[in-house]
Order: sequence, then structure tokens, then C-alpha cells
Amino acid sequence: MSPSAANLAQLRQLLAERFPTAPRPDTGVLPTGLPAVDEIAGGLPRRALTELVCGAPSTGSQLFLTQLLAGTRRQAVRVALVDATDNFDPQSIPPAELQHLLWVRCQAIAEAMTAADLLAREASLDLVVLDLVYGSLPALRRIPDRTWYRLQRAVEETNLVFLALTPARLVASAQLRLQLDRPHPLARQQTPRPKLVSDLAVTLQLQRHAARQA
Amino acid sequence: MFAVIHLADFALQAALRLAARPAASLPAALIDPAQRPSVVLACTPAARSSGVEIGQSPAQALARCARLVILPASAPASADAQAALLATAFSLSPAVEMTGPGICTASLQGLAPGEQEPAVRQTLSQLAALGLHATAGLGATPLLALYAARRAHPVLAVGSARDFLAPLPLAAADPPADVAGILASWGIHTLGQLTALPKTSLAQRLGPAGLALWERAAGESERPLVCVAPERTFVASWESEEPMETLEPVLFILRRFVDRLALELQTAALAAAELILTLDLDDDTSLPRTIRLPEPAAQSDTLFRTLQTYLETVRTSAGVTAIQLKIMPIRAAARQRDVFDGALRDPHRFAETLARISALVGTDRVGTPVLENTRRPDAFHLVPPLAELPRAPEPAIHPPLGLPLRRFRPPHPATVELEGSQPTYVWTPAFHGRIVELAGPWQAAGDWWEADQFWQREEWDVGLDPVGLYRLVHTPGGWFVEGEYD
Repeated sequence: MSPSAANLAQLRQLLAERFPTAPRPDTGVLPTGLPAVDEIAGGLPRRALTELVCGAPSTGSQLFLTQLLAGTRRQAVRVALVDATDNFDPQSIPPAELQHLLWVRCQAIAEAMTAADLLAREASLDLVVLDLVYGSLPALRRIPDRTWYRLQRAVEETNLVFLALTPARLVASAQLRLQLDRPHPLARQQTPRPKLVSDLAVTLQLQRHAARQA
Repeated sequence: MFAVIHLADFALQAALRLAARPAASLPAALIDPAQRPSVVLACTPAARSSGVEIGQSPAQALARCARLVILPASAPASADAQAALLATAFSLSPAVEMTGPGICTASLQGLAPGEQEPAVRQTLSQLAALGLHATAGLGATPLLALYAARRAHPVLAVGSARDFLAPLPLAAADPPADVAGILASWGIHTLGQLTALPKTSLAQRLGPAGLALWERAAGESERPLVCVAPERTFVASWESEEPMETLEPVLFILRRFVDRLALELQTAALAAAELILTLDLDDDTSLPRTIRLPEPAAQSDTLFRTLQTYLETVRTSAGVTAIQLKIMPIRAAARQRDVFDGALRDPHRFAETLARISALVGTDRVGTPVLENTRRPDAFHLVPPLAELPRAPEPAIHPPLGLPLRRFRPPHPATVELEGSQPTYVWTPAFHGRIVELAGPWQAAGDWWEADQFWQREEWDVGLDPVGLYRLVHTPGGWFVEGEYD
């Protein structure tokens, strides 16, 4: 073990002794209705951060979001979308699937992170989506890891699912990291959306212990 | 049985209650600003122990105690304290009399003997939470209860009226000055000595005033209570001598208002539907604001948090000179929530979060999107989130086709290379590429009947080399990439 890793382990042990917390029960997952996700992870873990890395254009991050909006609408639960670069297009979604959505149209990354931090503590929400896909990558890389750990701490106090859509691996505290890496051809624009959803290619990058289903 | 709640040095307590925080812990004295020359009307025990006495001029009092805070008597502060006293008294009984400034009498007829004193102690605790320190007396008549309240530490229940009254000084029965002088010359100094004299002989010598004093001294005077009705308008106001330039003193006063008004609402079995807050500013303007609560509430913490969240977003051009808070009441809904009804779990907290986010991004940039009834691109508006979600509709028989759009706001201006009428290459400030897949064009136009609203466009769906599906539009203003299909 390297000296830094040993120090880290020692610090963790010290914190655990000084601030003991009761083990939290696994409160389950939010099923997505996306076969590729539900089969590998059971859904999106509650009380945890999930990162969806969208490494290329037209890989389906908005399709993923659309599917989540439809699923959560059927369950009558609330969703917040923190749109860091104001890219969401409500006209692409059936109007009835927008009724449970709180859309925060941000104009800067810092604004989006602050809004996400506020919403991550909100008991009335079941899903918070932070869309950073079109954020400037250098600016996103400057977000310190402690910001993501702070968000993790915040969602642990609630029962919500926090999903960050990112252009590259950014979320240090992600319990589950998925990747969309297959761009769609133009011919798929004539395909019904449920078929696109069932064919969506999602790969699992990381699944930490707490996110696994019991 | 009757209970009297008594606030000693009422005007001083009322002024201290709404004074800034440091004044509450410092020696303080009350003056009447309208009186010339001003003299100390009342002072706190801390001031008294420093040598301050009633009747001194402010300069004399300050010479005795340099840390002394001089407070002007304030009619709004006294009215607010009186309202707080009344609201707590109604938690004891519906038959309540406002006997005098800082004195309230309640009939305890509805309470069992064993419940009376605990209920009165509970009322004193409520008053303490509202910043008022009271004493209480319990007696068979309102008068006995009043005598007891003036001597209580903090609660005194009178068992035998004769034993209780006998040792009290004559002044306890409020004798007229001339009668008090005559009795003093006779060597009568206590109520017991007075009541030892024959009642009829005293009446013959001192007249009706002497007879009334004897009856008061014997605790015999009984009277019905002049009952008041519970408050139905929920208003509190305050004017400051000096403009308040920070949030803290404004919040301090609002906390006092809210605590009292919440108690009044609870007593009346009502809840707040709207809070109307008006701040008068030093530049002769005012800042009114109506805050509609997401759900009726009567808890003081909830009401206060709502006001605090709003005030944290307010920047004023001048200091605050007056505050008025009015609560619009409503009957609280008595409905048990359904697990599946889609209502907010904590509407008040959600409203606070929404207010904070609105302050961060702007009120016009947060809400639930509602599509407008037009085919104009990007036509929608935002509305506040629904308090309860309607039942979800059945899935559409004909679902939408293709990937949803990720819209660029504003659209990227584009330079497009054409072969004939078909685009073959596209450049934008963000990306460029050879068009390898193409669908379109689709013509669209609308609002032709309104000259300044008319729009017209030609849309193409394009696939660029190596990846990326985009919506390319040609308008009279040029070519644009409107978004990415994602």
C-alpha cells in the first residue's frame, strides 16, 4: 500500500470512529424501462449518484432522459432537470410527460451545480437529472471531486436518484457509471421511440457495492 | 375559578420584545417620547441594580448606568404584546376578558381542578416563547386571581381568601389617595386590619369609596367577565425609529409576529393561505409582496421559513422603516394523503427550494414546461409545478418517431455548401463536417396573419461525418443548426 493510500485508509478509519453512522438499508432502485440498464443494474440506485457518459453526439442521452420522464410520469413521482446549457427541448416530448418535470434552465456550470446541490436535498423529488453534456469540458474538469462527494452526501439523506449526464468521466463519487457509445444513423429517425429505447446500447463502466441490488 | 395572566412592566416588556437582540440582555429603561421632560417610566432589574430609578431623567439614568438602553414606549409594540397575551389566554378558555394593559382574565370553568394549574403554567410557557414573562394567579373571583397574579412567582393559587388577603398591604386593593391617607392616619396598613373594621361603620365614615375598598379588601367583589372574541384578522405591524439596513433585525421582528399570529391561527382552528408582507423603506417607497403558500399552514416555523426564504432574495435601495405582516386565513384541509395521488411530500420545503433556485437562475427560468398551441419552433412557457399530478394518460397508440432534439439556444449560425439545392457540407463555430446522410427538406410556416410574428423555414435532418445527427434549418435570416438529435 502506498503512503498516500495508507493515509487515506487511516483518515477513513478515524472519521468512522469519530462520526459513527448507522448502516443505511439499501432502499432499492428506480427502474428505467431501458432493458440495457435494468438487466445489468436493476435500475438507477436511489440515494446515490449515477453517471451516464455520452462520449459522442447522437448516442441517445436525450432518448434516455425521455424514457425516464415517461416512466416516472406513470409512477406519479417528480423529476427535476438541471439543464446546465439550456438544451432540453420540450417539443420533443409528449405534453403529458412534462407535467411532473421541474426544468431549471441554467446559463453557467456553476449555476447548475448550485441548483443541483439544492435539489439533491429535496424530499419531494424522486429523480434529479443534471445535464452537463454540452458543458465545456475544461470547465467541467475543474469541478473539484469534493463537489461530487458533497452531492453524494446530500442524496444519501433523501430517497432520490441523482443522474448526471456528462461528456466524459467526471463524477468521482458515482455509484453507477454507464456509457452510451453507439451513435445512431439517420435512418433510425423513422423508428418508433419504444423500439429505439429497447435497442439503446448502454455499457456498464462501474458499479460500486452500494448500488448493487440485494 | 378564574385565572389572571399578568405581565409586570407591560410597556417595557412589549418594547423589549421587539427591540434588537442586544437590548434584551442589557439594562434597559422605558421612556415616553411624547412626555416633556422625559423620565424613566420603568426599568429592568439589571438597570435597577445599577442604580436606575423610576422618575429619573434619561441623562441621570445614563449617568448611573452607562450601558443602559433607553427604549421609547411604543403603541404598536404594546398592541402586539397585548394580542400575544390574548392569544395565549384563549388556549385556556373561550371566556377571556382583556382586563387591562398586560392583564387578562380567563374563566377556568371548563377545566377540572387538577388541570387548572398545569394549564396555566403551559400558558406561561407559551408566553415565554413569545418573549413575554408573565405571572398568573388563580382565585375564586377575578379580583382574588388578580391579587394573586401580582404576587405570584410565577403561579399562585388562592385557597382561603381570608388567609391570603389579610397580610397584603393596603395598596394591593388600589385605595383612592384620600381614603388611603385617612386609613394611614388610623394606623390601618393591611387588608386584614381594614376588614377587621365593621363594614357598615366604615361605609358611614368613608362613603361609597370606603365601602367598595372594604369589599375589595375582603375579596367579596364579584363581577361577570367582559368577554372578548378571538381575533379574526391576523395582522402585525411595527415601525422602527432607525431604518433597519440588514436582514437580521427584520427577521427578528418577523419571528415575533409569526409566533403570535401562528398561535392566533391555531386558536381559531385556521391556517394561513397567503402571507402579505409590506416593507416600508426609508426613501418613502414600499415593497409589498404576497406569498401564496403551497399548502395552508399554521406552524410558526413553516411560516417564518417562507418569509425568510423570500427576504434572502430581496435587495432594497434603502433601509426598512416599517414592517406589516398580514395573514389571509383559510380552513385547514383535513384530508389524508393517498400514496398514489402524486402530491408533493413536503410542499413548504419544495416551495422554499424553488424560491432559492428562482433567486439563482431567475424566476422565468425555472418551472414546468407547457407547450404552446402552435407549430412555431421552441414555443413553450414555464408554469409553477403542479401541487398534485393528474393521473398519467394511457401510452399513445402512435408513439413519437426518432431521437428527441437537443436544442441549441440560440441556434448555431451555419455556412452550408450546396450541390444544386442540397446541402453537402456544413460549418458552424462549434463543429463542421461533410453531410453523409440527408433527409428533407420539410417546409413550415406560420403566424402569417401577424406581420411581426410570421415565420417560415425549411428543415433538413443531416448526418455528419464521422458522427452526429443534426437539424439544419434554412430561414430568411440564413442557415442555422438548430440542435442535435440525441
